[in-house]
Amino acid sequence: MNVVHQGDHPPKGELPVNIIELEKQVILMEDIQEIENLQKRYGYYFEIGNYQGVVDLFSEDAESVEIESCGLFLGKAGVKKMYVDTIGSNKYESWVRFCIQMMGGVVYVDPIGKTAKGRWQTWLCEAMPVGGVPRQQWLHGYYENEFVKEHGKWLFKKLHWNVTFYTSFEAGWVRIPLLGLLTMKMADAPPTAFHPYPSGYHVPYHYKHPITGE
Amino acid sequence: MNLEELEKSVNLMEDIQEIENLQRIYAYYFDLQMWEDIIDLFSDDAESVEIVDHGLFLGKEGVKKMYWGWIGKGIRSANQPWIQFIITQIGGVVDISPDGKTAWGRWQTWLCEAKPFGAFPKQEWLHGYYENKYVKENGKWLFSKLHWNNTFCSPFEDGWLKTPLMGLMNYHPTVKPDAPPTAFYPYPSGYHLPYHYNHPITEK
Amino acid sequence: MMNLEDLEKQVIRMEDIQEIENLQRRYGYYFDTRNFQAIVDMFSDSADSADLESFGLFRGKEGIRRLYLDDIGRGGRPRYPSESWISTVIFQIGGVVNLDPSGVAARGRWQTWLAETFLYGGVPRQYWVHGYYENEYVKERGKWFFKKLFWNVTFFTMFETGWLTQPLVGLLPMANPDGPPTAFYPYPSGYQFPYHYNHPITGE
Repeated sequence: MNVVHQGDHPPKGELPVNIIELEKQVILMEDIQEIENLQKRYGYYFEIGNYQGVVDLFSEDAESVEIESCGLFLGKAGVKKMYVDTIGSNKYESWVRFCIQMMGGVVYVDPIGKTAKGRWQTWLCEAMPVGGVPRQQWLHGYYENEFVKEHGKWLFKKLHWNVTFYTSFEAGWVRIPLLGLLTMKMADAPPTAFHPYPSGYHVPYHYKHPITGE
Repeated sequence: MNLEELEKSVNLMEDIQEIENLQRIYAYYFDLQMWEDIIDLFSDDAESVEIVDHGLFLGKEGVKKMYWGWIGKGIRSANQPWIQFIITQIGGVVDISPDGKTAWGRWQTWLCEAKPFGAFPKQEWLHGYYENKYVKENGKWLFSKLHWNNTFCSPFEDGWLKTPLMGLMNYHPTVKPDAPPTAFYPYPSGYHLPYHYNHPITEK
Repeated sequence: MMNLEDLEKQVIRMEDIQEIENLQRRYGYYFDTRNFQAIVDMFSDSADSADLESFGLFRGKEGIRRLYLDDIGRGGRPRYPSESWISTVIFQIGGVVNLDPSGVAARGRWQTWLAETFLYGGVPRQYWVHGYYENEYVKERGKWFFKKLFWNVTFFTMFETGWLTQPLVGLLPMANPDGPPTAFYPYPSGYQFPYHYNHPITGE
């Protein structure tokens, strides 16, 4: 579902009815919908193991990608390194599965219409080997992502998935908030904001309060 | 854009919103077991409905058989209040055909259910995907084809790794499908229900 | 073909729905980070009420401040590092929003799934919670606000036990509501939290 950020966009219904302004508003809504779709498709490609499909959703001038405790990967080369070369190199058996549920998107498009930011929540049920043992897991995390519009299409510029907890199905987030670290040796830098539960950390919002503007 | 193009864009966005709503309203009727209301969300020329391994049910008659006969057991709504279906509709990707008359949508669903299994009440986690088709008739969007593909149906206590499928649900003493399920490959088969869409950037 | 004025009305309508979805999601995110003042600021000064779970009914903007700031927010006392494990994750799912023809009032239904953690009987516990919203919104000075928030709980169970075994861990009455909860009938009562909308096809 699309969302519109109040931000700097002109208030609705107060402009003279002219076609140029209306067009701007319509393009804005289309942009938001396309970004929401991009985010969901990312999830669906990740689930199916189509990591090249994921990489192709990123701009050639992508800034970085950071997931959980994997580490910070820079540029389009870093994006490919993480998804295709590292995650994609695992020859997972068919029982390994990720179900990523994208929820609650709040998207803000810059007034010039060329860049945007978005926040989502994700709930995951996973089955993955941890320390060589098949485990079933609950995960929770937030995205704070950046997008860029090139040749009329929206692409990922920066993806940051901040994990809240990564727990076992049996134990739960209070007993075992983190099953283990997923540090990747090929990362360009350590993670910028890895403070899982119960630290109390929350990845900051990209947006201001819709009413007070704070 | 000129006025005509602008109008087309606006209609497209309204169509997508209406289809998202239809999908969610479907789930809310399912939650409260309002089977007749669900049947009324389908076109009279509905193609088919397929849920888990119940089998493929064709046409509007098949839709009635599935919801009223099989799932609803011919009862208007819950007569056993502890039976619960909670379906969360997540991550919808909707694409409308250029003529604006048909559409496809993909969603994920997460369910927490309570229903009898054999003779016992069980609480269950379920996961699945929809790849549905919609049709616009007299200015309203309706379901044309509903396909819910089950990933796992696991007891609350066990989880999808230990018990991915509690059992088969492909038999009913009186309600018979028109064909066997077209794509029942639950976890851990590795099967993924194919997308209706191409890659948005590479278009592959 | 529409004229420009009609087209603009349609566009405003869609933006309104998007803004209300946005408001609902931000509510969830502010709740996650326990920013209760931000929540209060999203309610109209002429807010009707807030009714959550078994907390009780809180009336008017004054009641809303009491509920979020004094009760849930614990009087704004700073969160000590040792309490950072207290957390609430709220998913806003499946929103169906309907605008009043006047364009300044609206209603919305969502489901929510929660993973919660807090002290119960002196011990940190983890919970699964499910519920539905049926909320009302009002547009003032070009912005949408909450007018009435009604969160109806389905179950509030422990991570370890599940909704069938233990649908409600206990009651959570607040010390100072304006009235008892208006519709607290958790699972497995079979209570059907009414929809604000009619059937989209039959209109019933």
